Amino acid sequence: MVWYTVKRLIQGIITVWFIATATFWAMHQVPGDPFIGEKAVSPEVEANLKARWGLDKPAYEQYAIFLVNMARGDFGISFTQESRSVNEIIQERFPVSAILGILAIVFAGLGGVLYGALTALYRNQWPDVIIILLVIIGISVPSFVFASVGQLVLVTINQILGFTLLPVAGWGDVAHMLVPALVLGLGTMAFLTRLMRSSMLEIVSADFIRTARSKGVPAAQVFSRHQLRNAVLPVITVLGPSVASITTGGFVVENIFGIPGLGQSFVLAVQQSDYGVIMGTTVFYGAFLVLMVIIVDLLYAWIDPRVRLE
Amino acid sequence: MALLEVNDLHVEFTTYGGIVHAVRGVDFAVDEGETLAIVGESGCGKSVTMQSIMGLIPMPPGRITKGTALLQGHDIIQNKIIDGRDIRGNFVGMIFQDPMSSLNPTMTIGAQIAEPLEVHRGYSHRDAMKRAVELLDLVQIPEAAKRSRQYPFEFSGGMLQRSMIAMAIACEPLVLIADEPSTALDVTIQAQILDLVESIQRETGMAIVLITHDLGVVARLADTVTVMYAGEVMEAGSVDDVFYRSAHPYTLGLKEAMPTNQTGRTRQLKPIDGTPPDLFAPPEGCAYAARCPHAMEVCLDHNPDPFAIHDEHRTKCWLHHEDCDVEAEGLFQAA
Ligand SMILES: Nc1ncnc2c1ncn2[C@@H]1O[C@H](COP(=O)(O)OP(=O)(O)O)[C@@H](O)[C@H]1O
Ligand SMILES: [Mg+2]
Repeated sequence: MVWYTVKRLIQGIITVWFIATATFWAMHQVPGDPFIGEKAVSPEVEANLKARWGLDKPAYEQYAIFLVNMARGDFGISFTQESRSVNEIIQERFPVSAILGILAIVFAGLGGVLYGALTALYRNQWPDVIIILLVIIGISVPSFVFASVGQLVLVTINQILGFTLLPVAGWGDVAHMLVPALVLGLGTMAFLTRLMRSSMLEIVSADFIRTARSKGVPAAQVFSRHQLRNAVLPVITVLGPSVASITTGGFVVENIFGIPGLGQSFVLAVQQSDYGVIMGTTVFYGAFLVLMVIIVDLLYAWIDPRVRLE
Repeated sequence: MALLEVNDLHVEFTTYGGIVHAVRGVDFAVDEGETLAIVGESGCGKSVTMQSIMGLIPMPPGRITKGTALLQGHDIIQNKIIDGRDIRGNFVGMIFQDPMSSLNPTMTIGAQIAEPLEVHRGYSHRDAMKRAVELLDLVQIPEAAKRSRQYPFEFSGGMLQRSMIAMAIACEPLVLIADEPSTALDVTIQAQILDLVESIQRETGMAIVLITHDLGVVARLADTVTVMYAGEVMEAGSVDDVFYRSAHPYTLGLKEAMPTNQTGRTRQLKPIDGTPPDLFAPPEGCAYAARCPHAMEVCLDHNPDPFAIHDEHRTKCWLHHEDCDVEAEGLFQAA
């Protein structure tokens, strides 16, 4: 298990290096220059930036400086917000995105496992049919549509009630988080529901479930010890990619609900050609997702001995 | 009264294609220390019979429409609980055909063997695990302590089946049901598994119901035999009666279709022509009539009741009716 962890971490570092490299060269190919045009920064800042990033040196030297800085955990500085480092921006804004994302994952995971188990239990009966219909909608409709519809519904509800049940936008307390998190997790929840359903149906008729029953194991214990643990395996494998889709979904949802998360600042950076923030945030997101996938893999290995001992 | 006695068991499955009449009036009995073999070609309802007794068939689509299974006089079809205890894994143990898929892939072998002890005997997890190691030792798995902490995928097929046996006998059951326990294994391993089951029986005196389609195994292990066809019992009796005084054309057919390894004897294998009847709409008459070389008119329209040949030897065949004077070749007929 230790060796497996080390191996996965090394693979992860290589992946992040690839992401950093691709981002760096891609940004170099983007037309435009932050130092010319109407939004140009002041000469002092420009000098400062050039010194720090070696912007007057050849590209491969800049690349080397960039990599060394990244390796030290320095994600660069903003080209548009004077004297702010990307690290500061991440520190300020990532916790907001993380709370939103975690809440969305919890909604998606719990909902997926619960509804999946439910549909399997009521296979081909009306709860199954209804949930599967919703699942199809959940999978095929993009999150910005849900976000807009969610806001619209909230506005209507608040109007009818005559007071603010849940705020329509902004950030602050739990009341602000619920609807955006639900909207953000909806697609993943639908996907997990479908996965859990087929997984449960497969396991219910598995030979080892029959064996457990032949031992006289009580139904509740058959369900928890034998069925659930095995049925949840495929759901765990896709949690990694799910984190990715929820993270990227966050870009849109944060903007629509006016949530001051990292996704919102990333979108803003792209609009303002803030190269520093774009590169820093991209690499940070890359590293974060890679770490998530590794954690999910380790979790999987912990539950499934066949992976653990490979 | 026998230890386990099954009477007139009927089981159906509702499917999209209609109702499958999988088991249609099966009777058998087995006593302490005795081995009953149930034979018949695949699809004749052997597994469904034993699984309905154990409450293992999925309902729906399955349904037990009629019949009783008396374990020491208690009907276990109606109620799996005797004196507040589930009979399964406790009074009746079961092992299955495919050991590879019959064990939980995410639980250690030891924990799976320990489980019935915790459920039925109130063992603590620690004690049950200790006992599991002893049981693994009993079924001749080397390095039992280490092995008990391993997972099914680390075991070979033969070792998995040994572990299944350890699990099934953990609570010292009165009856062990073995559904083709060696069919999925290598020939050399098959014999070892059957030897193991036999030696455990000698020690514990449990009854065994052995499902197989290998007549060689039957001859070696069984005391009594029940021959099934299309969900019915065609012939039943002691091994000697059924083998050497076969009274049903289907039993004869099975024997002729089986290779012998007796030296100096060579003969052509003779498969039984045709296929078993459609269980969606079983025939009015005898289910075997369409394939039977001796079929008479009465066989097509009327299903016979079992005729007693002598003692416990019974067969379901019109050739044994007192008014029938047909002499079928090779068939044993009471005087
Ligand atoms: N779940 C099920 N649904 C429908 N038919 C079934 C089901 N299980 C068994 N059967 C039918 O019951 C019959 C007997 O099967 P089985 O007892 O497994 O035969 P075998 O003698 O080979 O063990 C077969 O015709 C099979 O198709
Ligand atoms: Mg079978």
